[in-house]
Amino acid sequence: MNGTNPGPLDNTPNPIKIPVSSAGSYMPPVIPSAPSGAAQPLGTNPAEQVPITGPVSAVEAILRQPRRVIFQLKQPNAGSVITSLLLIAVVCSLVYGVIVGTFSGGQQYWAAPVKIAAGLLISALICLPSLYIFSCLGGSQARLVEVFGLVAGLLTLMTILLIGFAPVAWVFSQSTKSLAAMGGLHLAFWLVATIFGVRFLHAGFSHLGTKSDGGMKVWVVIFVLVVLQMTTALRPIIGTADTFLPAAQDKKFFLSHWFDNLDADGGRSRKWKGDGN
Amino acid sequence: MNMRASDLALDVRQLSVLLRGEPGLISSWVRGWTMNRVLLYIAVIFVGAGCYGAAMGYWRDPLQAFYTGLKFPLVILLTTLGNGLLNGMLAPLLGLNIGFRQSLLVIFMSFTIAAAILGSFSPLMLFLVWNTPPVSALSGTVSVAYSFMQLATVVMIAFAGVMANVRLVPVLRELSGSSAVAHKVLFAWLAVNLLLGSQIIWILRPFIGNPAIPVEFLSVHAFEGNFFEAVFQAAQHLLFR
Repeated sequence: MNGTNPGPLDNTPNPIKIPVSSAGSYMPPVIPSAPSGAAQPLGTNPAEQVPITGPVSAVEAILRQPRRVIFQLKQPNAGSVITSLLLIAVVCSLVYGVIVGTFSGGQQYWAAPVKIAAGLLISALICLPSLYIFSCLGGSQARLVEVFGLVAGLLTLMTILLIGFAPVAWVFSQSTKSLAAMGGLHLAFWLVATIFGVRFLHAGFSHLGTKSDGGMKVWVVIFVLVVLQMTTALRPIIGTADTFLPAAQDKKFFLSHWFDNLDADGGRSRKWKGDGN
Repeated sequence: MNMRASDLALDVRQLSVLLRGEPGLISSWVRGWTMNRVLLYIAVIFVGAGCYGAAMGYWRDPLQAFYTGLKFPLVILLTTLGNGLLNGMLAPLLGLNIGFRQSLLVIFMSFTIAAAILGSFSPLMLFLVWNTPPVSALSGTVSVAYSFMQLATVVMIAFAGVMANVRLVPVLRELSGSSAVAHKVLFAWLAVNLLLGSQIIWILRPFIGNPAIPVEFLSVHAFEGNFFEAVFQAAQHLLFR
């Protein structure tokens, strides 16, 4: 292939040009960067303009066509899209909560789903105002409703992924007695789900004119800390206790709660080994 | 002074322009000074800083929440108005040729951004308070909780203050046409606002509310000593005790 004969790459919108140096020898070709999703304006693909009509359509869109969700959030019917996303997030978190509850059984069958669904929604509401302010500080033109829609999308994607992890979590919850191990496993699943959720959020803001993503990085840290603290504030979620929520004098920072549980779990493990001997 | 509801709604939407720090548009607002805009900024300062102050004071007592919710915006307003004349004189002396009202408006804009950021942090602060052991709990725990509250408050306020000033620089540059003048004016305003603001905070204390002292609007020792004297004494105590 040379500069005059057309090759297979000539059908591409940006054909590779082979520059010639002043000495007449060919220079290595400059490979054009692939068009990123953010560079292409929203709605240019007709598939993105197809309305999201209900929860099933919303699940498919957020997994396969996140740009379609972002485009629909900018349309006048954004309210129905947000409602669908929130509905999915609530249902999925309730289902995953039941799986979490199977570790302890009894009261936790209903307490864990309620706490997980409520905790996620409350955490999102607590962090929503700061996300809107951070988006404005980052130069975004996003309206509050669009930011709310992106947070709903974040929750939806997170909880859908948690449903994907649910069978694995159930198998482990039936085969281990270690509270710390189950806690660590659920935490790992939640972190993976959050990474994908944050990717959606980042894509959303890049389409809403954000010039700097420094504020969003700070916000992600705040959101993760709030959710982690929420799991401690609403404890027990995996294990059991005499009361539905901890008493006022038992309030703890989440790291302190984790270390206490690790110590208790280590103590139980040592006792079990001692009994065995 | 006749602010209609529609004007107010329009201006509230313009708050996002302030947060984005669009220098061209904001400079045109500074040149076209209106009382409505000042009233809007005062309202945002009262709501934003007030909500944050209330969340901060709620840890000590609901009454302390009310007091702090009132005092926190007052610190901003008293600092801005107390330094208004000085800031208005410093600006032209340092090369920024704007009037007294314009300089007041720019400083109000900066504090409005800070108040909006603090207002958005108020649910986070309330969540923090909800997760902190109450005053009625054991004294050792309270001491750690009190220190943590103070630290979190300082971090959030510092972030809001830094962001508000970062947003002010492009506006000052647009108004003066010089980056050096913008930085000189900003530094001078910051210095005098820090001087007066810290003393007003000292006089209007307590804000979080010390668990060892009953809830009060103003300390009985409000006008005794000053902020810098207290910092000097604390440093002296730390180094030469």
